[in-house]
Amino acid sequence: MATESPQARDEALGEELLLGQGAGLMKTAGALVGHGFLLLVTSISALAVLFIFFFIIRDALPFFRLEGLRGFFTSTEWYPSGSPPVFGALALFFGSGLVTAGAVFVAVPLGVAAAVCMSDILPFGVRQIVKPVVEVLAAIPSVAFGFFALVVFAPMLQEHGGALLALGAWLIGAPLGFLAIVVLSDLLADRLPDGARWAGRAGFIVLLGGLAVLGMLRLTGALADVTIYSGRNALNVSIILGIMALPTVVSVSEDALSAVGRELREGSYALGATRAETMLKVVIPAARSGILAAVLLGVMRAIGETMVVWMASGNAAQIPKPWYNILEPVRTVTATIAGDMGEADHVTGSARYHVLFALALCLLTFSFLCNVVSEWASRRSRARSG
Amino acid sequence: MRLPTRKLLDRSFSGLGVFSILLMAAALIILLGPIFVRGFGAFVFRGTVEYRRVMRDKFGRGDRAAIAQEVAAATAARQNVYDAIAEFEADRSRRREYRSALRELKDAVRALLGPFPDDPRPALLRDQYGQTRWDRARAKLHDLLYRVEYDYSDETRMGVPLDVPRANDFKGTSLEPLFGYIEQNLEQMLRPRLTVYWRFLFDESYDAHFFGGIWPAVLGTLYLTLGAMLIAAPLGIVAAIYLAEYAGEGRLISVLRTCISTLAGVPSIVFGLFGLAFFVNSLHVSGSKSVLAGSLTLAVLVLPTVIRASEEAIRAVPQTYKEAALSLGASRWHTAISVILPAAIPGVLTSIIISMGRAAGETAPIMFTAAVSLGKPLKLWETLSQPTPALPWNIYNLCTEHAAVDEIRHVQYGMVLTLIVLVLLLNITAIVLRARISKKLRG
Repeated sequence: MATESPQARDEALGEELLLGQGAGLMKTAGALVGHGFLLLVTSISALAVLFIFFFIIRDALPFFRLEGLRGFFTSTEWYPSGSPPVFGALALFFGSGLVTAGAVFVAVPLGVAAAVCMSDILPFGVRQIVKPVVEVLAAIPSVAFGFFALVVFAPMLQEHGGALLALGAWLIGAPLGFLAIVVLSDLLADRLPDGARWAGRAGFIVLLGGLAVLGMLRLTGALADVTIYSGRNALNVSIILGIMALPTVVSVSEDALSAVGRELREGSYALGATRAETMLKVVIPAARSGILAAVLLGVMRAIGETMVVWMASGNAAQIPKPWYNILEPVRTVTATIAGDMGEADHVTGSARYHVLFALALCLLTFSFLCNVVSEWASRRSRARSG
Repeated sequence: MRLPTRKLLDRSFSGLGVFSILLMAAALIILLGPIFVRGFGAFVFRGTVEYRRVMRDKFGRGDRAAIAQEVAAATAARQNVYDAIAEFEADRSRRREYRSALRELKDAVRALLGPFPDDPRPALLRDQYGQTRWDRARAKLHDLLYRVEYDYSDETRMGVPLDVPRANDFKGTSLEPLFGYIEQNLEQMLRPRLTVYWRFLFDESYDAHFFGGIWPAVLGTLYLTLGAMLIAAPLGIVAAIYLAEYAGEGRLISVLRTCISTLAGVPSIVFGLFGLAFFVNSLHVSGSKSVLAGSLTLAVLVLPTVIRASEEAIRAVPQTYKEAALSLGASRWHTAISVILPAAIPGVLTSIIISMGRAAGETAPIMFTAAVSLGKPLKLWETLSQPTPALPWNIYNLCTEHAAVDEIRHVQYGMVLTLIVLVLLLNITAIVLRARISKKLRG
């Protein structure tokens, strides 16, 4: 551009301005062709989705034709290489569900609290530091999380399982217990006559606090005696998956919270509400569809994750006894696809090969539904705040 | 509720938020800490004389005379061990009694120092050398000094491992002092020295990662990532231009957008199956797994990320640019290409860099389409037909399926560190780039 003389540029511009009728037509035609081309390229991604569904369904159908639907969804017997092979995937679905539920239990409270903190509590400067932390956490490859879960975290759980469980119980119990005690003792003290209120409140706090500490000590004492026989279990995977889903939950719900207008917050403050009350009673309810979208995206991240669960969940196709025992190994749908394909690859066409596509189809359908709901929710939240 | 209580609750509410952010930061530190510290150990460690022998034999590195001198000194120190064992073996009267204990001892010495001078040359490369790293040598020394026995006396618990000194097996024989000798003179026998092995990144691996570096995997990851971006970036940018500049709010466009967001939500393992079923088994882009098939699969995976982020970058270009260009008589396409796109380039670049990080770290999509556990570094044209080792897949493979998982921990950590540093560098570039753009847009 710099080498072009002003004169030459003027001439070129003049040519552009002196378009004839035919050139105008050409131009319109060219624009139409160009538009078509752009649309074509854009629809490649749409085609990709259709192709994914088509090819997964194409290879999944033979399985249902060979083995039928009932056993697949109701039986927990998973012996794909036995003779005759048995394909009962219930335990796999249960395993996926269990670790996903565990991940949600970790990621959602932490993620929403962190999002609230980032959108409304932290000053701008600190937020600029926290944001990269979230981004870095989101960027770490899943195989690195899997490696950590298998090589660092699993031996740690196996050796110091009880102590870690006790620590976890304190991490959850201490903040919640503190809040509950403050609220309860205040409510109880309100019923006392005026003079005794101060003393009563202090008394209730000491009494309830003492009880809570005693209870926590007994609980953690019991937990500390728990022996974890294998570090590769549902608990390990749940925690790691929760940490992996955390950035998604944080950033999406932060967007939702920020999208709630200033007017709502200012109105609430003007009525004398504290920040906590404003957040809990006004902003979070206003942003609830956005937060729902965040939770669903977190669920999708956790349920679709392969490497962590394959490496660290223990891969035992069973429903733990009792079913909520997260200290037992489980096997998930994704890990089964990843693990069995290596062997099934050579027997293309067998039920053993097609069952993996059937599993993938279930996974795909679930993700698709989650996605539709989360799209709907975020559109709703945008419409409401916009 | 009283005002002070409400204030206290407000404070604790803020505290809860800060607590969760601290917990998140702690998780990041706990995760990255061991990986950085121990991954660093793959590059900087105390290398023994065996390490220098491997380097000399396999890579032709090092001062031959100096190494020969060191080997001679080490051999002299080891000779006492060999002599003591030979002397003990020569005494036929105790042969039966000590047979298994002696065999175990000799195997432990082999694992520590390499084959005996009169052994035939072992078939496996890993058996031809002693321990190359001092930390591994310490572990092997422990195996030599102690035998593990399990204590089953408490029936309610699992067996408790106990260390039993091997010296007890040879109590009262001429071999008993040998254990003390080895423990005290191990440094003379192995001559550890601080070693910086930066070529770990660029060396080929020998004998299933026992020796050498990780270059084939690094190169494979680079091929896969760049290949995926070569395919996804043009498609993604064109689609982003269309969505940002041309598309209205019609039914077709909303279907397209739903498709893109659905694509973004497809689990990565499903992409792997799709790549296998479509690119490999249906299109036959290559005979079996290949870098090309893997790149295509990864390209489909990152396409929605590229489209969304690029579209956002294009939309961030001030409307006045576009209006100025259009008012000068430029066509829409001309405006998009010569005015809007150049202004949006930094943002588009950011989106591409972030997607590259994503593509580099994905494992599930490449495991059926591109990745193998062992292989030579590929030439550029071989990527069209050959599979390749790749960092994410090799990390998985080495820490779960390798025959000697514990022996090559340093390689695993080195790989994880390399992958994480690669991905983080990409992301940090993107973060810095974005910060500069937002400054420019604000200022």
